[in-house]
Amino acid sequence: MKVTIDGHDVEVEAGATVLEAVRAAGGWVPTLCFDERQAPFGACRVCLVGAAGARGPIPACTTPCRDGLEIDTADERARRVAKAVVELVLSELPVPPAPHTELATVARSLGVEDVRWPGATHRVDHDERHPYLAFQHELCISCGRCVRACDEVQGAFALTATGRGFTANVTAGLDAGFRDSTCVSCGACADTCPTDAITEITLL
Amino acid sequence: MSKNLVELVRRTHAVRAPTALEVLKAAIDDHGEITDDDRRAASAASGLPEAAVYGVSTFYDDLLVARGERHVRVCTGTACFAATGDAHVDELRDALGLALGQRRADGSLSLGETVCLGFCHSSPAVRDGDVVDAGADVIERVLAGATRAAPEPDWVSALPRPVLTEPGDWSGLERALAEHTPESLLEEVRAATVRGRGGAGFPAGDKWGFARASPGAQKFIVANGDEGDPGSYIDKYLMERNPALVLEGMALAGYAVGADHGFVLCRSEYPLSKPSLEAAVDEARAAGLLGEDIRGSGFSFDITILEGAGSYVVGEETALLACVEGLRGTVSARPPFPAQSGLYGLPTVVNNTETLANIPFVAREGAQAYRDLSPGATPGSKLVCFNERFARPGVYEVRFGTPIRELCDELAGGMRDGHQLRAMQIGGPLAGILPGSLIDTRFDLDDLVAVGCMVGHGGIVAFDERTDMRALARHLLHFGTSESCGKCFPCRIGLRRAYEMFSGPEPVDRTRLEELLEALELGSLCAHGGGMPAPIRSLLTHFADELGLRA
Repeated sequence: MKVTIDGHDVEVEAGATVLEAVRAAGGWVPTLCFDERQAPFGACRVCLVGAAGARGPIPACTTPCRDGLEIDTADERARRVAKAVVELVLSELPVPPAPHTELATVARSLGVEDVRWPGATHRVDHDERHPYLAFQHELCISCGRCVRACDEVQGAFALTATGRGFTANVTAGLDAGFRDSTCVSCGACADTCPTDAITEITLL
Repeated sequence: MSKNLVELVRRTHAVRAPTALEVLKAAIDDHGEITDDDRRAASAASGLPEAAVYGVSTFYDDLLVARGERHVRVCTGTACFAATGDAHVDELRDALGLALGQRRADGSLSLGETVCLGFCHSSPAVRDGDVVDAGADVIERVLAGATRAAPEPDWVSALPRPVLTEPGDWSGLERALAEHTPESLLEEVRAATVRGRGGAGFPAGDKWGFARASPGAQKFIVANGDEGDPGSYIDKYLMERNPALVLEGMALAGYAVGADHGFVLCRSEYPLSKPSLEAAVDEARAAGLLGEDIRGSGFSFDITILEGAGSYVVGEETALLACVEGLRGTVSARPPFPAQSGLYGLPTVVNNTETLANIPFVAREGAQAYRDLSPGATPGSKLVCFNERFARPGVYEVRFGTPIRELCDELAGGMRDGHQLRAMQIGGPLAGILPGSLIDTRFDLDDLVAVGCMVGHGGIVAFDERTDMRALARHLLHFGTSESCGKCFPCRIGLRRAYEMFSGPEPVDRTRLEELLEALELGSLCAHGGGMPAPIRSLLTHFADELGLRA
């Protein structure tokens, strides 16, 4: 089927998502919870784009294409909401994300400079019991990528989302650390994490 | 939602094992808290990995507060707020010397919070063990250890021939099996234009049509009895006073769609609902109206009753299905819709209990008779309920299109004790707030949308002249942030920030607030984050000078 991305036509397979079409057209929209190795999740809402005829912006990662769809990746409302959401995400962290992380990169690309939200931040909680994997829970933004990597890619099921609402986070096993869980130390979680909440400890 | 976790649960479910959530609920009911041994047992019984069980155990309200020998839960719903401005919560907390969520060191007593107990007709309400007491003197009785089950008013139909308040007698199913093919029943429901009663108003016939057209040998019907709207006790009445009508509606849906099993998910906040539904299932099985080859028709259908564990968002259909599977009750992006891939990944119809209760009438009397119930308005009838601020609060069956003034004054008797009506929230926490000046609006889907409000599920909560509108905004946003499932970022963080804007003494920056409301409305994954701005916008429109906005 044919879809139009920012004025350029592109052919996509049936079942392709809008995000896939944008990428096929050589375009770009920011994402935080998306990892192409995993099923789309639709949590971060940073990939919102404009669609002709739609009442409001649509999430690119979870919306399937239909023939003739016209997408505007620069849609003003979509970019405004995405920027507001990234500012909210930065506001829940007690410290800014490291400059090399995906979160910091997306924030720069959307022009999020100041975080104007005072208020609660995540409690600092470092888990360094595992020899190779470190978990800084306060940097977790609940994008679910580590949980899905462990589930969909590795099949170890060692990680889970915890809590709900603002206190949502991630933990391993029965919250007793990676070591006392079914973790196989593959590092897929650290590899996909967009904030360095989970990192590999390098000894070299 | 993880396809792998769903598949693990499905495989185990095939041998009728309990879900992880059921095991965890039984554990805390048994010994007052959840231990790692309980989590391991839930994992072994359900097929869910231990980490996933841990995630479930940290999601639902009922599993989070360690219980004393006596466990008291105070209702913090909107009707209770309208009655006392939350003074009942402070009074109970101070008198017991316990914070919400705290247990005495000796284990004798614990205090929790619950939203909402469905005793909005007699607010404030408190649950003491499994006894729900309510009324102006309830705190005194709790402190004296003398709680009693509060009376619940009878429901009343304003229709000459009641549809929803008359006991279901299964005659709709009998007639459909004798006279309808599944296709012709589906056409009848389509022709009747049964709009969903859970809040969204989606045509039930279309939903059924999608599920019927989905390929698959096994399909399910799920009745959404997770009536989480604070201020609403309509499904409570249906499930506890007329469960047969809901079950009959499910069987009819099963016949039309080609499903052979149904589930009702009712609320744990209504301790009487599950036993009442189960008794009705037993009766129907004994009468040959559920089970194999019903009335020799070749149609088989059975129903399982499940109970939630405290989560508003589980009323959203994808979260509801996750809860039925015993998983964390978080929302999943659609598509796929449940009609294509629902419970255990199979085609599933999710209908509100009241929607299903409308179906037996359609099957028995036909589409035209159904459309004639509310001439010139949305077809069928609607149950509405009123909060304690009215003189005659209760559940009433009404015609769509009735002026709201008539509902409030003639049925509910106007405000009690000479109080003045300032505003109403109709249709739940995601609905706009109707100022008293717009009381002549017709009670119908489009009419209410035109004034920034909605029919929603039909709960009507009045606020009188004593209500502090800034405190109301704070109350609603506290509910919003507490109940966010935490999946999508705008709702998870944005509702917290909105609540914080109203929770301190500082004036609220209106421009920043409106930026935040836009991000919630346009960015949220489901109607929770998307809908919570609606009442705040109403307050900004009608009561801006009372919200403590920055000049």
